[in-house]
Amino acid sequence: MAIVLLPGTLAAEAGGEKRFELHAATVGEALRQLPVANLLLDEAGQLRRLVNVFVDGIDVRGGRLLDEPLGEESEVRIVGAIAGG
Amino acid sequence: MGVLLPVGTKKGLFLLRSDADRKKWELEGPLLPGWPVYHAIVDPRDGVLYAATNSFIYGGTVHRSRDLGRTWERAEEIGLPEESGLKLNATWHVEPGNGSELWLGGDPGVLFRSDDGGVTWEVNRGLLEHPTREQWQPGAGGMCCHSIQVVDGTMYIAISAAGAFRSEDGGDSWTPINKDVAADFHPEKYPEVGQCVHKLLAHPARPDRLWQQNHCGVYRSDDRGDNWERLDGNGLPSDFGFALALDAEDPDVAYVIPEVSGEQHFTPDGRLGVYRTADGGDSWQLASNGLPDRAWAAVLREGFAYDDAGLYFGTQSGSVWSAPRGGSEWIEAAGNLPPILSVEAAHV
Repeated sequence: MAIVLLPGTLAAEAGGEKRFELHAATVGEALRQLPVANLLLDEAGQLRRLVNVFVDGIDVRGGRLLDEPLGEESEVRIVGAIAGG
Repeated sequence: MGVLLPVGTKKGLFLLRSDADRKKWELEGPLLPGWPVYHAIVDPRDGVLYAATNSFIYGGTVHRSRDLGRTWERAEEIGLPEESGLKLNATWHVEPGNGSELWLGGDPGVLFRSDDGGVTWEVNRGLLEHPTREQWQPGAGGMCCHSIQVVDGTMYIAISAAGAFRSEDGGDSWTPINKDVAADFHPEKYPEVGQCVHKLLAHPARPDRLWQQNHCGVYRSDDRGDNWERLDGNGLPSDFGFALALDAEDPDVAYVIPEVSGEQHFTPDGRLGVYRTADGGDSWQLASNGLPDRAWAAVLREGFAYDDAGLYFGTQSGSVWSAPRGGSEWIEAAGNLPPILSVEAAHV
C-alpha cells in the first residue's frame, strides 16, 4: 500500500483527511484515486504546473512524472509551489 | 428581511450581515481560506451559496454550500475539451438562469452551464467555437467572461477583450453587439469584436436597456445592444473604470466608480467617488457623502452590487462600503479585509 500525504488546503478539500493508503502501481494511478484528483490534474489529465509530487523524497518532475512507479511502501508527498503574496 | 453580502477576497470568502436598516454589519469569515474568490452569490431560488474559486496552484473550480458556508462541496471536473486546444485558466462569474440553469463564466472567454446545482458543468459550444474567437485577446485580468445576464429568453455575456454578445437561442449561438463601442487600443477603432468590456448589466425592470462600463467609456443601449450611446463626456472625471451598478426599479439610474486610466487603476484626484446618473447618462453627479476624499482606491469589476434598498462596493484595499438606495450617505461596513475581488447582495 502506497501512502499519499496532502498539504493543508488539499486536506480540507478531502474531508479533512491528510493521509491516504492506496493500491497504485504509478503516481498517476494514486493521484487519480484521490478525492482531490481534479485539483492535482488538469482537464487533460496532466499534473498541474505548480503541483509538485515527491516519491520517497524524490521530485517526480526529474523522473517519469505520472508514470513514476510506486512500490508497496512508497510515500507520495504532494507539495504546492511556494510563493508569497 | 436581512441582507447578506458575500464578499470574495484574494484570501477567501467573507460574509457580511445586516438587518433591514443596513447600519450595523456583522462579519463572518474567512470561509474557504486559501482560495481566492473571484465571485460569490447566493442563488435566490434555493439559497445555495456559490463561489468561483481559483488557486494559482490547484486551478479554478466552483464551491457550493447549502448551509451558508458551514460546509462546502466542490464541483466535479470543470474543463475544456481536448480538441479545443484550450485549458481553463480561471472561473469568474456564477449567474442563475432560467429554470434550474446555472451559468459560469471563465477564462479563456468560456461559458459553462450546470443543470444539477453546480455539481457538473458543460461547456457552451456556441461560445467556445465562436467564429470570431481568433480575434479575441486577453486583458490584464486574462480573457475573462465576467458578465452574464439572463433576461427572459435572452442572454447577454461580456468578455474582456472580446466584447459583448447576445444569444436568443439559449446559448446555442452568439451575436456580437459592439456597434459604436470604442476599442482605442485596437488597430480598428470600432471592430466587430475585441472590445474590452469591464462590466455589463441589463436593467431588471426594462430588459431592453443595457449598461456597460468599458475600458473605453461608459455606454447605454436601449435596444438590447444593437446600438450603444457613449455617456462619459457628461460629467464623469474619467471614461475608465470597472465597477457598475443600477437601481432595482428606475432604469434611468446607474452608478460608476471612475479610475484615472488604463495605466493608473486608482481614483481620479484621490477621491473615492461614486458617480450617479438619474437621467440615463445625460448627466452624472457625485454621490460620495461619507467616503474618504483622500483615497487612491480601486474597485474591481465584480466589486459593486445593488439591491432594492442599497448599494455596496468593496475596494482592493479591503473596505466594504454601504449606502441606501440613491447613494446619499456611505458607511464602512467592514475594513481591513484582504483585497476585495467581488461583492454581491442577497436577502436572507
